[in-house]
Amino acid sequence: MNAVDKIDMETLATPTLNEVRLPTGLLGFEHIKDYVLLANPAEQPFAWLQVKDDVALAFIVIDPYIAVPEYKPNLPQLDIENLGIQNPDDALLLSIVTVHGNNRATMNLKGPIVINRRTHIGKQIVIANASDYSVQHPLPVAAV
Amino acid sequence: MLILSRKSGESIVIDGRIHVKVVRVEGDVVKIGIEAPSDIPVHREEVYQEIQRSNQQALTKQQSSLPKLAGSPAKTPKTSQP
Repeated sequence: MNAVDKIDMETLATPTLNEVRLPTGLLGFEHIKDYVLLANPAEQPFAWLQVKDDVALAFIVIDPYIAVPEYKPNLPQLDIENLGIQNPDDALLLSIVTVHGNNRATMNLKGPIVINRRTHIGKQIVIANASDYSVQHPLPVAAV
Repeated sequence: MLILSRKSGESIVIDGRIHVKVVRVEGDVVKIGIEAPSDIPVHREEVYQEIQRSNQQALTKQQSSLPKLAGSPAKTPKTSQP
């Protein structure tokens, strides 16, 4: 496999584009497998997971640890192996954000997207301890 | 769909390694015990439906403006004030 740039959302200096493939899609969007992860430093800590073939469709994503540093998702070993993740540094974990109007936003902690930073292949994984977390965990949003 | 009749205390085995046992039947509630290797995820179907609904709700149809996080803890990216 060709070397690809390692995805790193934390040290981005310029807007970056990273192609991401989710072979099983997202739950409810199983047919959409190719995405572009678009991170703009001005918009941090948020990033866009944009549908590659339709730039008008996108999901807002966030590193869940920014809002919940104690987040401890239990990821099934088989998923980790299938993604080829050999050590924790290989994994980029993202939560999908839902914006509910101007001053309410939540993130999904039950089903994070786990991406292998080296291969750019990922999966939305239902964590084994899903009952400990919410699909709509509130984000501390500043009033606009 | 394969439909099997089981009494309380009886089990079915899937793939020789996943045991599904009817523990108790109380009215219209069936208590089911599941023994599976730790690499087999077992969830209520509602969890998948909940995530599916959440994904559908999260999909943005145009480049909307992003929320601003209030005094976010730890790891806040450094921003310079104009």
